[in-house]
Amino acid sequence: MPEEPIDRIVERMLEGDDLSRRTFLRRLGTAGFAVSGAATLLAACGGAEGGGDEDRDVDVTHPKVPIRNWTFSNWPLYIDPAVIKDFDRRFGARTKYIQDINDNQEFFGKVRQQLQRNQPIGRDLVVLTDYMAARWVRGDYVEPIDKRNVPNVRNLQDNLRSPKFDPERNFTLPWQSGMTGIGYNRKRTGREIRSVDDLFDPRFKGRVTMLEDPHDSAGLVLWSQGVRPEEASIDQVLAAIDKIDEENRKGQIRRFTGNDYTQDLTQGNSWIATVYSGDVFQLREDNPDIEFVIPEEGGVIWTDNMMIPERAAHPYAAETMMNYVYDPKVAAKIAAYVNYVTPVKGVQEELAKSDPELARETLIFPDAATRRKLSPYPDLDAEDERRMIEAMARVTGA
Amino acid sequence: MARRRLVPYALLAPGLAWLLLFFAVPLATQVYVSLQTGSIEEGYEFAWNWSTYETAVTEYREQFLRSLGYAGTATVLALVIAFPLAYFVAFRAGRWRNLLLLLIALPLFTNFLMRTVAWQTILTDDGFVVDTLRALGLLGDDGRLLATRTAVVAGLTYNFLPFMALPLYASLERIDRGLIEAATDLYAGRVAAFRRVTLPLAMPGILAGCLLTFIPAAGDYVNATLLGSSRTVMVGNVIQSKFLDITDYPVAAALSFVLTLGVLAIVIAALRAVGTRSLSEAAAR
Amino acid sequence: MIERLRGPLLALWSAAVLAYLFVPVAIVVLFSFNDNRGRFNFVWQGFTLEHWRHPFDVPDLGPSLVTSLEVAAVAVAGSLVLGTLIALALVRHRFVGRTATNVFVFMPLATPEVVLGASLLGLFITMGVTTGLATIAIAHVMFCISFVVVTVAARLEGMDPHLEEAAADLGADGPTAFRKVTLPLIAPGLAAAGLLSFVISIDDFVITQFNAGQELTFPLFIFGATRQGVPPQVNVLVTMLLLGALVAMFANLAVQRRRSVADR
Repeated sequence: MPEEPIDRIVERMLEGDDLSRRTFLRRLGTAGFAVSGAATLLAACGGAEGGGDEDRDVDVTHPKVPIRNWTFSNWPLYIDPAVIKDFDRRFGARTKYIQDINDNQEFFGKVRQQLQRNQPIGRDLVVLTDYMAARWVRGDYVEPIDKRNVPNVRNLQDNLRSPKFDPERNFTLPWQSGMTGIGYNRKRTGREIRSVDDLFDPRFKGRVTMLEDPHDSAGLVLWSQGVRPEEASIDQVLAAIDKIDEENRKGQIRRFTGNDYTQDLTQGNSWIATVYSGDVFQLREDNPDIEFVIPEEGGVIWTDNMMIPERAAHPYAAETMMNYVYDPKVAAKIAAYVNYVTPVKGVQEELAKSDPELARETLIFPDAATRRKLSPYPDLDAEDERRMIEAMARVTGA
Repeated sequence: MARRRLVPYALLAPGLAWLLLFFAVPLATQVYVSLQTGSIEEGYEFAWNWSTYETAVTEYREQFLRSLGYAGTATVLALVIAFPLAYFVAFRAGRWRNLLLLLIALPLFTNFLMRTVAWQTILTDDGFVVDTLRALGLLGDDGRLLATRTAVVAGLTYNFLPFMALPLYASLERIDRGLIEAATDLYAGRVAAFRRVTLPLAMPGILAGCLLTFIPAAGDYVNATLLGSSRTVMVGNVIQSKFLDITDYPVAAALSFVLTLGVLAIVIAALRAVGTRSLSEAAAR
Repeated sequence: MIERLRGPLLALWSAAVLAYLFVPVAIVVLFSFNDNRGRFNFVWQGFTLEHWRHPFDVPDLGPSLVTSLEVAAVAVAGSLVLGTLIALALVRHRFVGRTATNVFVFMPLATPEVVLGASLLGLFITMGVTTGLATIAIAHVMFCISFVVVTVAARLEGMDPHLEEAAADLGADGPTAFRKVTLPLIAPGLAAAGLLSFVISIDDFVITQFNAGQELTFPLFIFGATRQGVPPQVNVLVTMLLLGALVAMFANLAVQRRRSVADR
């Protein structure tokens, strides 16, 4: 007798058919739960991470259940609030949307111990940048995605289909991409800015801010040293960080920032800064003299990824949200609001209907020429990444 | 008879138990953590790893000294600024006394972060303050206040000023005026009377104010984050970063332990000098 | 000549210092009325009452304030009870370990907040406790106890111990004497301690940052917001809290004044 598909079983259960519960539990037992059981055992034994990811069973089923309360953690100002409301209305849900991810490292530090102890972290969906997503996948901290619940994944842009850390997109799905480039105050600098080396022009001494995340800062400096960031070796990365250190000691760099470079730029405290493309629109609104440029040597492109943390209580809800935001209409709404680079196909056409000017905006829809100048972050293993982060921490003083 | 003797212990039990469980035990755990090796990927294990303390003291010596320096400067500044004010309110204010005390405490009722953010606005490069200082020649044409240690120390001084002023006031207020009058009768002038009578009697307040300023200032990291730069990083920043961002728990724990010991040593020395009873007297309103 | 100037000089200095204390607070209040264009609130762009009309428009802001108030309520209640008991023991009784207890109770004040927060988090993780509302409350009660002890002990010291003895002579037992004699007399001290704990709890950022887990308190919200631009609604709420605290203080003062009149 062919085994009954699990959704059929659940449907029967929901209809009150008791006999199928045994079948249901049996199926669960042979599928995903055996894997998590083993992982728990391993974790309990040594507190070490990594449960043999090559052999991981990624064929998981997240049964369709009614979506009620579930938790979605994201970066601040990264979604149009109307989208959440629409989602809730459409699915009768009550999404708890918390904007508590301010920094990849910091967020990881917050939930790290629970992850390592295989405890749920109280969130069903999180959004983290590539290198942190890679770390979570490596460390077995994520639930596989039941692609059956995310048919819209076919709308994923081709260039994002196969990252090294998740070649089949079994665990992650891009939320937005963004570019790191140079933002500057045209009036104060007195001239156009074109190159990474302009950051180190002595005329701007004390008027430069750089991002404290070495992925961004060292990434840009690597370009100026003739190295493509995603191909850089750890030694090249450390050399880039040395350059930043040197300039900092000279007093060239006013300070290192997180997302708060915006304040110094708008107030006129800094004249030139390493910035994220999505902030430019807001910056220009507050201060029309501010311009953004991808340096001629090259810029950096990064992607933030949606992931379901392991032991999440409502994976189906998370997957439904993933599917929802991959609908071009919804993706267009988000793109218009957050002004970052959308990973969903068909958004440009969709947006052209309502806001043609925005649809032409290269900051949201970079053309092929721009994309050639953009490189993802340096691709380092865990040990080298730690060395990079520690080296940068020494430069920024912490 | 025996029951009476147990009364204080009964009174102490709940509160002390709470402090033991949620203050003392965690600190002890930190010592345990500081002696571990490992990383977040491999996991940590206890290994009597004293090298963390070596790292803490050698690699971060600059941040330690800086923290003590900033905190010390802020304390002295706060004392100098607050003392005349406290004196005025204690001796000259009359019926305006309570109102003035209220004004002194006012900043404490505004969120700490927002006060510091306000300083970002006040000290901005194009703002009134910097412009004036440049005009007066106190700042170079290119000079700035934000992202310098001046701003950080100024922020620390400001934020803890009420903690200095209030104990000073309390202590001054309790001084018997008659003693001062007698002193002026006996000594040549008011300055001498001040030096020989008022000042020593105000010592508990001065001590309390200095401790309440120095201790939190030494471990602060918010002022350095919002008003400073990479060259003004304090040991609190390092601990926060190592704990929350880099997750290098052993070194972070070692750093916090060394900081605690250092600060505690100063506190115990000061308490010994003046006595703990005077401390609670000084805190009286 | 200096003698003559001393008076006015002192007054002038005091006025200057008070102004210095006051200016940043004024800026916070002022910018709650700023008609800011974008999402930043640093440059004055015009006056508006809009933010005061819709102070809870910003998502997460209202809930974070509610969380802070809930935690503060627990912190005040818990620390008042535990702290007053300790203060009573320290001031009214002589016992073995008194000095040690004195030092121990002051130690949280002598420990940097970073250390308190980080070590407490370590404990919770080890015990397998999920950080959240409960852990924030526990932390807040912990660090408020020392403040309460100092404040209430000070008030107790100022109180004549013979009054309690007199009550005992008149036939009252311990708890009754406490309820009818001590408590009313130290009430202003309790009120002050309560207000102090409330303010400290509402304002706490560092220790909360380590132990909040998924919860967002008001200061945590603000810190997150500083990286993206603090919305003026935050200024509005901070001003409201300030006004609330002022009202409470005035009320306490008025009650005290009426008491002292009644005592005469």
